[in-house]
Amino acid sequence: MTTLTSQERLRYDRQMIIPGIGEAGQKKLKQAKVFIAGLGGLGSVSGYYMAAAGVGHLRIADGDCVEFANLNRQILHHTPDIGIPKTESALKKLRALNPFCVITALHETIRIDNVIGLVGDSDIILDGTDNIATRKVLNSASVSLDIPFIYGGVNGFNGTVSTFIPGKTPCFECLFHQQSDKTQSPGVIGPLPAMVAAIQSLEAIKIILEMDGLLTNRLLLIRGVDMVIKKIDVPKNPECPICGPDMEKRQNG
Amino acid sequence: MDSAIRIIVNGFPETVPDNIAISQLIDRFNEGDTDLIVEHNGRFIYPDFYMTTRVSPGDRVEFINPNFGG
Ligand SMILES: [Zn+2]
Repeated sequence: MTTLTSQERLRYDRQMIIPGIGEAGQKKLKQAKVFIAGLGGLGSVSGYYMAAAGVGHLRIADGDCVEFANLNRQILHHTPDIGIPKTESALKKLRALNPFCVITALHETIRIDNVIGLVGDSDIILDGTDNIATRKVLNSASVSLDIPFIYGGVNGFNGTVSTFIPGKTPCFECLFHQQSDKTQSPGVIGPLPAMVAAIQSLEAIKIILEMDGLLTNRLLLIRGVDMVIKKIDVPKNPECPICGPDMEKRQNG
Repeated sequence: MDSAIRIIVNGFPETVPDNIAISQLIDRFNEGDTDLIVEHNGRFIYPDFYMTTRVSPGDRVEFINPNFGG
């Protein structure tokens, strides 16, 4: 049975006093395991908030090392970290922030042949990647492992967020099957990934607390230049190659 | 002659032929960027339905660039 130490009670007091979290909610957070895919602009912020909220176990994956050009937005990494693996840099900061959080650092690039092992027995996949191809890999893991995938993406002053729950909502592939996989490094201003990753983190916490009101069946679009923030409704794609009826037929034999 | 209708495209009023399909609006307002997603009256439209989804007076259509950076 999960118990909270007096130090943990003190640390999480301001969220435990929220009706709907309390001791029971905090224990759910402590029992949860979250996979953070990528430790860039998005993963930096979701890493901090997952650790700070008291998520008991984080699996953090990134194959890259810290570069100067990361530092305008990837706030987990600091100037002395240049050249070291992002996982190592992240581990240092997140452990210092919350020693109660168990962290598994995976210094590997996420691919279709290793994704299942990297995600392991996580309850949720938090997207911190920077390209469509890796998101499709994460989405296929989400569908085959039957765990939620919380997508976030940024470009310039813009951001997009949506939560995908296998079997209940459209998946990432439903929406973006026909998107070409441009390998580009778009410009990004730091607060955009922070906004997007903060929303992703809130979604993860709500899923762990078994709350309703998730950002499912909708795309949240943030346009930072004029602060237009809106949601559009997304129906399931009956033709989806990943979660469509053909796939379900194949899975059910 | 086809009757013309007023709709909103990317936030601006536009005059287009009545009953025009999303696929024709894409031809009319974009330079063939296949990676844009389409919102029609607050709803995401899948590419498979661009030919069969038609607009009515007052409809709102937006062409949106989804974001995949991180
Ligand atoms: Zn799907």
